[in-house]
Amino acid sequence: MSRFQDRRRLDGLTAPWRGRGPDDDRGRSDTALIDTLAGHALPVAITLVGVVLATLFLVVINTFVEVDFVPLVYMLPVVLAATRWGMLPGVVAAVAGAAAADFFFYPPLYSFWLSNPQDAVHLALFLLVGIVTSNLAARLKSEANVLRGREKEIAELHAFSKVLATCVTAPDLIVAVQDYLSHTLGYRAFLIASADKGGDGDFALPKDVRDHAATLTADADGSAIFQSEAGGIWLLRVITPEILGYGAIAVNLAERRDADLDTIARSVGILLDEAIATLKQLKLKESIEHATIAYRAEALRDALIGDASHELRTPLASIIGQCSVLAQLPAIKNDFRSHGLVESIQGEAGRLDDQIRLLLDATRIKASGVRPQRVWSDPLDIVDAAIRQKQRALSAHSVNCNLEKNTPLVFVDPVLVEHALGQLLDNAAKYSPRGSTIVVHSRGDRDCVELCVTDQGNGLTTVEKRQLGKHCYRSDRHPAGTDGSGLGLWIARVFMLANGGTLSAESRGPNLGATISLRLPTVSDDTPQCLEAANG
Amino acid sequence: MASVLLIDDEIQIRRFLRAGFELHGYTVLEAENATLGLKAATLEKPDLILLDLNLPDLEGSEVLERVRSWSNVPIIVLSIQADEREKVRLLKMGADDYVVKPFGISELLARSEAAMRRHFRSSNRDPVVRTGPLSIDLVLRVVTVSGKRIQLTRKEYTLLHALASHAGLVLTHEQLMEEIWGTRAGNIQYLRILVRKLRQKVEADATRPKLIISESGVGYRLDADNPNPSPTHGRISPGAACLA
Repeated sequence: MSRFQDRRRLDGLTAPWRGRGPDDDRGRSDTALIDTLAGHALPVAITLVGVVLATLFLVVINTFVEVDFVPLVYMLPVVLAATRWGMLPGVVAAVAGAAAADFFFYPPLYSFWLSNPQDAVHLALFLLVGIVTSNLAARLKSEANVLRGREKEIAELHAFSKVLATCVTAPDLIVAVQDYLSHTLGYRAFLIASADKGGDGDFALPKDVRDHAATLTADADGSAIFQSEAGGIWLLRVITPEILGYGAIAVNLAERRDADLDTIARSVGILLDEAIATLKQLKLKESIEHATIAYRAEALRDALIGDASHELRTPLASIIGQCSVLAQLPAIKNDFRSHGLVESIQGEAGRLDDQIRLLLDATRIKASGVRPQRVWSDPLDIVDAAIRQKQRALSAHSVNCNLEKNTPLVFVDPVLVEHALGQLLDNAAKYSPRGSTIVVHSRGDRDCVELCVTDQGNGLTTVEKRQLGKHCYRSDRHPAGTDGSGLGLWIARVFMLANGGTLSAESRGPNLGATISLRLPTVSDDTPQCLEAANG
Repeated sequence: MASVLLIDDEIQIRRFLRAGFELHGYTVLEAENATLGLKAATLEKPDLILLDLNLPDLEGSEVLERVRSWSNVPIIVLSIQADEREKVRLLKMGADDYVVKPFGISELLARSEAAMRRHFRSSNRDPVVRTGPLSIDLVLRVVTVSGKRIQLTRKEYTLLHALASHAGLVLTHEQLMEEIWGTRAGNIQYLRILVRKLRQKVEADATRPKLIISESGVGYRLDADNPNPSPTHGRISPGAACLA
């Protein structure tokens, strides 16, 4: 059965499954001292080696010339030890240096006695300067560490705020906060932003922990240690309503019962205070509210677009399907005129469906932009799929493909690029004479792949070239009766920009045809490795 | 005679599907909602189910899941939405194929035949798959193009074998990567390059593939209805056991 311990502030927390008395405190302080000394043993040993080396250096020099800079040489290990390891090794270096100087270099030699009072003053001054230097160096080091820590903290905070800014939904935000807390605390942390299981999208949190957190939320400062039936000891802390409307943080302290949980809980509690202060600064509550509103608005928009799509396209699907069946009936199939009429109805319904798709695409782009799913894609597949997609529109033209076999792979959303290329083919078919040739060709190098569609149609004036791809742009030169909304190339351009590519146009002038190109980012360097791996 | 169950709430769609399938010799059963569809699938045991995703009483994907829990009957999903992630999800859930509305009856018939061929081949164990000039003997592991034997690397053959085993049906990139490299989380670049190399060996023009067709954002399919220059090739009637 789960055990609930009394609520208490973290600074007074004790592990409830373990007794504690005065002997424990004494034992703990002795252990701390031993730990401190053990931690300094290696630096002190290295420092003493430094003093021995300084002594050897002075002894060697002393055989050639009389040295009067002994304290200066011994100051070197003092400064190095204090800067590197702090006060204690610095002081040890100063004392050892003074002793070595007295023993080896001040008369009487090889004795700790001093015959000259002036030498005693020299050594006392050296000792004093050594201790002060150690102290200053240690403080300098400590302040440098604090500064480095702050710099790291600011960098992490900056990175965290960037992550928060990219979160679109409330669950995304919660996951980002959980990751931040887990990283900061060093233990797996959960942000409970809803009383319901899964309300915040997290099913990994045991139900009893969530329930227990709910009992704490009545108290704005509530915190507790809780042992879950599902396993693990949990530190729970309520977040004040100004940070999150409803909220608590649950930290999984340990799976093992023998861990030193009160120490862990205390240190985690301190870090948690800092983390909560950060969440307050970042206006988490407002961010989650905005994300929730944006998510609901997008869901509503998607539902509307979905409804429009269903209501408009279902009757068209029915007309196109019925025509396809009619065209196969022997009575229609064998009658040239009837067959032609059925095909015409099918074609017109298909064109209407294309227009509806364009409008839906345009609405989606205007409403929520484009979110490409970029993967490594084969441009040859994209071209083939686009030609198949526009088979009906291209039926009155001859299509020549001039594609390089080894065109590099491109890192794009293949569906969006296929749609963009489909628009180019559609335009080429629409604005060039029946029976003319449309050429699709590719150009590839290390940086990009270009897919180009060249037609023998209306061509482009300089002004048209500049305006091409703008929202709802239609040239005045379009022949009467040529349908179009000016959306096709705009959508193609938006899709290309979303994929890190561009759309451009070339033409020798009006009625001299045009080449519209899609420029896509390539894989280049990885391709040989891929070939090798694919062969392997 | 093969039977087809149509589960779609749109009467006009059901009407033309019935006409189209009956014209080609199928027996057609209709259900206007998921409840009736599930009932018919259980009682009538159709050879193929055409399932619309937008049903009034239950999500089409839920119907798919329920049927798949007890039957491996071929199921083709019909949808007005063309979202690639949704297609991949449905294929993972056990759909044999999907067709986006609007579509012509010929396209749907071709997909239906492919799905049933796949289903019947798994029970009849016919070892040879033929499409256009390409012939793959799945038992002898022999691949010929226009009667001429070609050499494939082990991975190229594994890829072709997977596609041929599902001739006419789409296999997702993840399914293919798992088949070839044993992991779904493989590098898609490797798959793209492998497909290119295979195309160079089996296609007349690798830049305009007619046999190994890419379904953008979803996967690849081996076209089972390629015009056949080989005298041995011919389209099958519903319920037949293999491509030959």
